[in-house]
Amino acid sequence: MKCSESEALIAAYADGQVGGLRAWRVGRHLRGCAACAAKHQELLALRERLRAEIPYFPAPPQLQARVRALLGDARGAEPAGPRARQDRWRWLAAGALAGCAAMVVAWVTGNAVIDWRTNRDLAVEAVALHVQASLADHLIEVASSDQHTVKPWLSARLDYSPPVRDLAGEGFPLAGARLATLHGERVATLVYRYRLHTIDIFVRPVSARSPAAPRTLRGFNVAQARGSNMDYLAVSDVNADVLSAFVRRLARPDAAP
Amino acid sequence: MQAASDALTCNGPRIPACSDASSPLQRIRVSDHVRFEQLVLPLLGAGYNLARWLTGDSNDAEDVVQEACERALKYAGGLRGSDARPWFLTIVRHAFYDWCQRNRPAQIVPDDAASIDAAIDPAAIDPEQAAMRSGASRLLAEAVAQLPLAYREVLILRELQDLSYKEIARIVGVPIGTVMSRLARARALLQRSPQLQAIRN
Repeated sequence: MKCSESEALIAAYADGQVGGLRAWRVGRHLRGCAACAAKHQELLALRERLRAEIPYFPAPPQLQARVRALLGDARGAEPAGPRARQDRWRWLAAGALAGCAAMVVAWVTGNAVIDWRTNRDLAVEAVALHVQASLADHLIEVASSDQHTVKPWLSARLDYSPPVRDLAGEGFPLAGARLATLHGERVATLVYRYRLHTIDIFVRPVSARSPAAPRTLRGFNVAQARGSNMDYLAVSDVNADVLSAFVRRLARPDAAP
Repeated sequence: MQAASDALTCNGPRIPACSDASSPLQRIRVSDHVRFEQLVLPLLGAGYNLARWLTGDSNDAEDVVQEACERALKYAGGLRGSDARPWFLTIVRHAFYDWCQRNRPAQIVPDDAASIDAAIDPAAIDPEQAAMRSGASRLLAEAVAQLPLAYREVLILRELQDLSYKEIARIVGVPIGTVMSRLARARALLQRSPQLQAIRN
């Protein structure tokens, strides 16, 4: 690029108004030509001083007020038609909003009812499974108090790996495990002993439903807890308080192996 | 005078050129209001700054901006968000030239370089005068205020409003080449101005 060509472009270049290849060519020329580079520098210096020294006058508050008043005036001059229409829209919007709110309430209540019913069904099914297995003497498919035997056995048969712990030190020795079909899904069932009682613990990955309060069905106690991304459902004929404490203990993540 | 106002007409779309309607506010719709509040009110500062630099007086600038707002409100219906700033500044500029024609007709000169240069304050570039005045004022702002209108407006639009050449060309209603030559003239005048020389020495 020659000086004559560059001179025409220096100002636009300094203003950031030259793009692409031309900008690159001007830049290259400026690196090689002291005279043009000086002109460029002078322009940049002037810009810097202008922006630093000449004031940007802010709109005074009374001007803001005057313009707002202008808006107010214009609003006052509006014919009645649009206002009535606006009101009608307002009512429509309010109605739609109320409708939305009612739907949300219905949805929340409905969910709560479904939750309650599902949990009840789950408890009924779990008790039935526990009774069935006890009667058929088929409580345990892998008999071991060693969590390192039970856990791999379960993992190999399920699409998840439930935490398995022996709590013999706390009076709840692990007796073994079996698979059960609860609510149409294969779930891990850990079997613990407590004195002369048997405790079934159904362990599943957490579902959308929240765990329900303990209950008693056909003389069996049912307790639930949630922890370590698993839902624990305990069924046994042991005392309800002991069962609740035990299932919560199992679900507590700090005790995880 | 006729030539001047012809030269000032803008080639942009739907720009109100003069305030002929006696009660324009009667026909404004609600949507225009909302658009005005959202798009134009935030630009009040930019419009005032331009008007203040063009009129050189805060009260006159307020009158010009108020006039511009009345027009903007009337025409807000056709406004899109992306080009609100050049759109509003064009209106402010038109409002200013209309105001100028009523109040300071002497300032409006034909739109050619020779006529514009004839309006240059000789004191602004005369070294002797400069030496005499250098003690009185060293403010660059004063040098800008003394620039001929046609040079001052492109310089303010470029340096204070940070608009592109293309936008300035649309606002002022001249080709981009003219914007560039006017900017160059404005800068050359400033660089020779006593205010800048005084600081430099």
